[in-house]
Amino acid sequence: MPDNPSFLERHHFLLRRLHSLTGIVPIGLFLILHLTTNSSIVWGSFLGDSGVAMFQHEVDFIHSLPALVLIEIFGLWLPIAFHSILGVYYAVSGSTNTKSYRYGGNFRYALQRISGYVGVIFIFYHVATLRWGWSLPGAYLFDAHAASSTTAMALRAGSENPWQLAGILVGLFYLLSVLLLVYHFANGLWTAAITWGLTISEQGQRRWGYVCASLGAALMVMGVTAVVGFVTLDIEEARQIEASLHTAQQPAVETTLAPEDNAH
Amino acid sequence: MVTQAAKNEVHLEPGLKRTIRFRIKRCDGPGKPARWENFDVPVVSGEGVNVISCLQWIAEHPKTAEGADTTPVVWDSGCLEEVCGACTMVINGSVRQSCSCQLDNYAPLDGDTITLEPMSKFPVVRDLWVDRSRLFHNLKRLKAWAPIDGLHDLGAGPKEHTDDQHVRYKISECMSCGCCLEACPQFHQEENEENWDSSFIGANTIAQARLFNLHETGKQLAGDRLDTLAAAGGVSDCGNAQNCVKVCPKEIPLTEAIAAIGRATTIHRVRKFFRGK
Ligand code: SF4
Ligand code: SF4
Ligand code: FES
Repeated sequence: MPDNPSFLERHHFLLRRLHSLTGIVPIGLFLILHLTTNSSIVWGSFLGDSGVAMFQHEVDFIHSLPALVLIEIFGLWLPIAFHSILGVYYAVSGSTNTKSYRYGGNFRYALQRISGYVGVIFIFYHVATLRWGWSLPGAYLFDAHAASSTTAMALRAGSENPWQLAGILVGLFYLLSVLLLVYHFANGLWTAAITWGLTISEQGQRRWGYVCASLGAALMVMGVTAVVGFVTLDIEEARQIEASLHTAQQPAVETTLAPEDNAH
Repeated sequence: MVTQAAKNEVHLEPGLKRTIRFRIKRCDGPGKPARWENFDVPVVSGEGVNVISCLQWIAEHPKTAEGADTTPVVWDSGCLEEVCGACTMVINGSVRQSCSCQLDNYAPLDGDTITLEPMSKFPVVRDLWVDRSRLFHNLKRLKAWAPIDGLHDLGAGPKEHTDDQHVRYKISECMSCGCCLEACPQFHQEENEENWDSSFIGANTIAQARLFNLHETGKQLAGDRLDTLAAAGGVSDCGNAQNCVKVCPKEIPLTEAIAAIGRATTIHRVRKFFRGK
């Protein structure tokens, strides 16, 4: 070790383990909740009145949580920033050699890094446009009171017509990123068990691999369902349902929403 | 490699003549530029020709395929039976021992081309010969030995557990060839020796930690080894590509060793956190 090791070197072990941990809790856990909620735009019509109502109901619940901004900052944004920054730093230290060594594991390794890079860009775009209202290309601001219709608009780059170029690009970007992020999570969950030493034998690693692959497949189905569900949503109908929900539930929403969220 | 040979077993009639084209990456010494040279080597089937015997032929006939005079190609070797690891090089893009690379299996057809390069993760001494001292440096960094030095009689050693012996036996076959390091996307050539102690230590050395930490006498240094492997360049720099286990000619369960050491460092660090030492 050099004479004055850097901060990263002195806390190497702790940082590596925190990097692994944050990927699972809170980020991975959040991914599961997020995709469950979002895919309710489709499955909501089987369990409730309509996907729009179900999704609105869930969004209202999230927005009724106390100190939502603090939860977001400490439970999501900081862990994601930590995992991303450290992750990119670690990833650039590797040198992919899939050309010479064409093993499945090696492609898994390479894809883990690629999906990480795409994921960082996507999450930034996603949060900056929908949550912070930055006017990046194709951006459309999410409104928690009209959750389904504004999400659908955002996935079409702000146009009601789903079949124009900008909208299709944004939709595809979402689709691809969601699939890559789910892969990143599932594969990360698999390798975390090796990192922490939970799965040691080859057989144990294989079995845990089946579990992670199944979870990943299920999440991918939910992710595709959500993106396709929003892209093909009938926006007019969604707005009507939201308006009717809104008048019916106005008082309840009014009292539980944090003041800053009423600003939309 | 037995497994590889068994997989693409080719039955050539003995006594058939063919020519094999060797494309060799050459370099006259450290810091000198690399260049490529071609050699056409006549081969007879059924005579157990391997890459080393072809290099010996080239040393006797140092003429390129284009007819130009050149110097003999330099390589390193020892045992010639895949137990010393000295002859490891990159053959057709992937790392393996050249002595056990049998041409009747590997290049059965007339005109087959074999590309030879030195390993890319170690400094080239000359042509195909590399300096693997960093491997031995890393074994010292890990304290990969059982501490029994001294002049006094230590008496009989403790009894070894049979199950542990089975695990250790497989790992003890490691010949420090460097295949697992060459194929590892997380292990890089590091020219500055001062950085060796904080650069990724590699799968073979992590496996040696498992070997010596399971050994009843070697165990005495287990804490030191886990400290080394929890630090920068230790086990958590592994990216789980699992190439190492695929290329290891001794089929050492490297990924199991990595996971076992991952667990041991986790426990060691948590314990240390509470015990304070
Ligand atoms: S673990 Fe295998 S590949 Fe690595 S140095 Fe030892 S024998 Fe070679
Ligand atoms: S599993 Fe780890 S040590 Fe083995 S090749 Fe991959 S990164 Fe290297
Ligand atoms: S010469 Fe010893 S392994 Fe090839």
